[in-house]
Amino acid sequence: MSEYTMTALPALGGYQASFDGVTLQEVTATAIVSIAIPLGGDDAMAKALQDAYGTAIPRAGHTSLANDGATRFLGMSSEQMFAVFDHAGAHALDVIAGNLKDAGYYTLQSDNWVALRISGPRSRDALERICPIDLNSAAFPQGKVARTTMEHLGVIIYPDDTDSFILLSGSSSAGSFLHALETSIHNIL
Amino acid sequence: MIINHPHLGPRDAQEFVYLGDASLMDRPDWQDENAADNFHDYLYLRDNPDGEHRELWYHEQGDRSWLVVTRNTLTHEITRVELARDVAIAMRRRK
Repeated sequence: MSEYTMTALPALGGYQASFDGVTLQEVTATAIVSIAIPLGGDDAMAKALQDAYGTAIPRAGHTSLANDGATRFLGMSSEQMFAVFDHAGAHALDVIAGNLKDAGYYTLQSDNWVALRISGPRSRDALERICPIDLNSAAFPQGKVARTTMEHLGVIIYPDDTDSFILLSGSSSAGSFLHALETSIHNIL
Repeated sequence: MIINHPHLGPRDAQEFVYLGDASLMDRPDWQDENAADNFHDYLYLRDNPDGEHRELWYHEQGDRSWLVVTRNTLTHEITRVELARDVAIAMRRRK
C-alpha cells in the first residue's frame, strides 16, 4: 500500500493583508489546549502551573504569561483556561499534559480555531463596529481577554501588543469571520 | 441592555441567553407528599410582576456562567447581578 503523509493547512491559507492603518494576518502554527480544573483541584493546578510555567491561574477575563513568555494562559471561566503557544504539529496536548501532569483535564483545540492578528493604529476603529467589548487600552489592556460575539460568531479576543489584538474564532466559519473583518475594515477606510 | 457581570464587568445583553424566573432554582422535594401539586406549580405557574423580577441569564457567549439578574420589568433597570452558583449555595445553607 502507498504511504501517505498528511500535512495540515491553515484555515485561511496563511492570509495576510495590509490596509491604511490596519494589518490583518492569520496566525499559523498556534496550539490551543483547553485546561479544565477538577472540582476542588485549584490548589493542585496552581502548584502545577507555578512549578512548570512560573505563573498563576488566570482569573476569568484575565491572562497570565509563562515566565519564558512562550505560553499564554487565557482565563475563560472560573474553572477553565486555554493555553496558547507556538507549536507546529499535532502533539501540543502532550506538551501541556507532560508539564502539568494530572492537575487538570486537557483537550486539544488547535484545529477548532482560526487565529488572526489585527494590528495598526486604526485596528480599534475597525473592530469597534463589530466588537461589543470596550477595547480602549485603559479598559482592555494587555493581560485581559474576553469571549464575545462578532457578527453572530463566537470570538475570543485579547491584546498582545500596543494596538494589536489576537482574535480566535471557529475554524469551520473562518471564511465568514474573515469576511466580517474585511468588511469592517473597508467601512472605515 | 448591559449586564454588569460579577467577574467580567459590563457586557452586552446579546452575549446572554434568557431562561426565566429564578424561582426555577428552587426545585420541589420529589419525596414530599404533595410533590405532584408542587411540581405542577413549579412547572406551570409564574408570577408576572410589574417591577422587580429575579431571573436567570446564561452567559453563553462569554464564560458560560449562570447569573441571577434582578431587573425592573417596567424600566429594565438592573439593580443586582449575582452568580447563580453563589445564590444556590446560599439557598442550600438556609435549608
